[in-house]
Amino acid sequence: MTTITVDNINSRAELKRKTAKPLLWIGIMSIVMFFGGWTSAVIVSKGSISDWLSIHLPNAFYVSSVIIVLSSIFFHLGYLAIKKDQKKTLFIFVLLTLLSGFGFVISQYLGWKTLYENGIVATGSSSTNASSYLYLITFFHVLHLLAGLISLIVVSVKSKKERYSSSNFLGVELSLIYWHFLGALWIYLFIFLKYIA
Amino acid sequence: MSTHHHHHEDFLFKYIFSTDHKMISKQFLITGFLMGFIGMVMSTLFRLQLGWPGESFWLVDALMGSWAEDGVMAPDKYLSLVTMHGTIMVFFLLTAGLSGTFSNLLIPLQIGARDMASGFLNMLSYWFFFVSSVIMLISLGVEGGAASAGWTIYPPLSALPQAIPGSGLGMTLWLVSMAIFIVSSLLGSLNYIVTILNLRTKGMSMTRLPLTIWAFLLTAIIGVLSFPVLLSAALLLVFDRSFGTSFFLSDIYIGGQVLEHSGGSPILFEHLFWFLGHPEVYIVLLPALGITSEIISTMSRKPIFGYRAMIGSMLAIAFLSFIVWGHHMFVTGMNPFLGAVFTFTTLLIAIPSAVKVFNYLTTLWKGNIVYSPAALFSIGLVSTFISGGVTGLVLGDSALDINVHDTYFVVGHFHIVMGLSAIFGMFAGVYHWFPKLFGRMMNNKLGNVHFWITIVSAYGVFFPMHFLGLAGVPRRYYTNSNFPLFDNMVDINELVSTFAIIAAVGQLLFMFNFIYSALRGPKAPMNPWRANSLEWTAPVEHIHGNWYGDIPEVHRWAYDYSKVDESGEYIGGEDFIPQTVPLAENEHDGGGH
Repeated sequence: MTTITVDNINSRAELKRKTAKPLLWIGIMSIVMFFGGWTSAVIVSKGSISDWLSIHLPNAFYVSSVIIVLSSIFFHLGYLAIKKDQKKTLFIFVLLTLLSGFGFVISQYLGWKTLYENGIVATGSSSTNASSYLYLITFFHVLHLLAGLISLIVVSVKSKKERYSSSNFLGVELSLIYWHFLGALWIYLFIFLKYIA
Repeated sequence: MSTHHHHHEDFLFKYIFSTDHKMISKQFLITGFLMGFIGMVMSTLFRLQLGWPGESFWLVDALMGSWAEDGVMAPDKYLSLVTMHGTIMVFFLLTAGLSGTFSNLLIPLQIGARDMASGFLNMLSYWFFFVSSVIMLISLGVEGGAASAGWTIYPPLSALPQAIPGSGLGMTLWLVSMAIFIVSSLLGSLNYIVTILNLRTKGMSMTRLPLTIWAFLLTAIIGVLSFPVLLSAALLLVFDRSFGTSFFLSDIYIGGQVLEHSGGSPILFEHLFWFLGHPEVYIVLLPALGITSEIISTMSRKPIFGYRAMIGSMLAIAFLSFIVWGHHMFVTGMNPFLGAVFTFTTLLIAIPSAVKVFNYLTTLWKGNIVYSPAALFSIGLVSTFISGGVTGLVLGDSALDINVHDTYFVVGHFHIVMGLSAIFGMFAGVYHWFPKLFGRMMNNKLGNVHFWITIVSAYGVFFPMHFLGLAGVPRRYYTNSNFPLFDNMVDINELVSTFAIIAAVGQLLFMFNFIYSALRGPKAPMNPWRANSLEWTAPVEHIHGNWYGDIPEVHRWAYDYSKVDESGEYIGGEDFIPQTVPLAENEHDGGGH
């Protein structure tokens, strides 16, 4: 039987180049809708509850915000570096991004710890709708961030091995887009939780 | 590697973990039909109960065992069946089965691509669907029975495991299954959108796309934007059920005991659910409308009337579908002003819908119609889209809706406009593209008989329901025979149930035709319907990559049927001109180029 494969006519690399970014962007759109669902739920809940308790955000969440903005800047500098074919610089910046990514997770954890120690809990009879939303939304942001960390680990290993160059950096770009998105998402959630919830 | 091992791998990756869109399409079709068959049997069972309440039936006894003592189903199992019927038909047959089958089959073939953007994601999409189907079926057999809160799973029935028997493990599995289903749907939609936008062959501009592709594109966009919201609602529900939060639960007493929950609102769930739920109607409907556009044009041997208006109306429908969800919630104590807004946006949908109907009819008008089963089912769709749409005007108006809310009027309405239209579109698609799917032809005579049995019995089932609804008969009740008020409605219920049985038996004819033709049907020629779109230029046998040699180039839109030159002769001597034929000098492209 004659077999015609995708490879010999339309190379896989070409296919990936054409489709990877749009796939990611549409995936990001659905994540936006997911969090959009929850933040609208907060607004509806707040509107229907007379004794909605606004929660003072822990300081750690402010620190997290700074860290995640810094990490985005690091990654972007790395991206600019690889465009100029500076492979070692890319690795250093990706590593810095990765470290600040872990820093963000730790800082979020410290924030939850502070909340918990102040008697603000996620579930059970002493929880309120406001506290449940706060934990849930921040926790699911971190879950999405874990995917970003995994991609950063891959990118850092590959950049250590100098697999990227000024003509081949799609992987860096994809990871960068997602990471910037996670940063922007956190800033939105932070502002939302502070001023609206 | 040994030869034996090699063959084994071939089988595994060709038929099971295939990344080829045509095989994945067949996987979606067969899984969807199996689920649809199960959903249909469920409806037959509960129609027996509704038509002849309390009577013993051997079929009920045989299929339901201890859930139907002496052949009479238990009330809680009735609720399970109704819930599972709705869930299976809406999501598993008409979302994954319909969109999964035809988006997968037709997107690469009609736009001129070797395969989907990501074959791997496509394969994952099917297998997530398969796993979610299995989990949903398993939930039928767990303690307490399957979920019973209705396919809309409103809390508190869905949020409190102790509420009713079906609120326990069955409900948990329902949520697990649906979460996996949503992942499947998202992966599929991602792929469809990116493939359509990025992998079109040379010359295939957006305004030369067949309307099927436009429909699949908009369906996928709606899915990507609305399913995540259902997922977010389902997660909140999981937390309420299992982790002690109160998103959807306020102060509740069960058996005199006060529960720990406080502060939540079940209405919030309705908002989140219907934010998906209404677009879901169009996720189900748009592919069927796209398929119908294609078939009606091909089978009436005429260009589709108002190609751009068709695209525009689908865009309008897709947009409006996101701002009408409140019409499902007119009786939730909604501010009447807000109700008026939702009434307005809902009634607006009548405009693009009417444009579509008008264009279908004008395409058929004075056409040289070939009455194939696909054409009949497409025309059937136009019929159900009109008759179901007209009752939609009643339900979209809050002042009228409140009177018939949660009655059989609603059941009749949505089964006709969404259920029948979508399944007719699906049947039309299967009859039309069967040669592409299996390389063989279906039997047209059996197909025609199948159509007439189906449309007559389907109207027989759902049309009388409007009268039940106007008389106030509520939906989801196990029996209406305990209410003297409804005594004179018993005959209508018997009639409905009789037609339901006829409809179910009629589908056996289709199943026979489908299976027999797939195995023994006459071999299909390359272009059996003398159609224009690209899939008919691909070889009948399935090859990975779809075309031998280069991908064909496109030079015109897909609807050049019966096109004549100045002397009144058919251009090219035939009443169809495939998209691959270059435009003659001074020839105008219908797509607007």
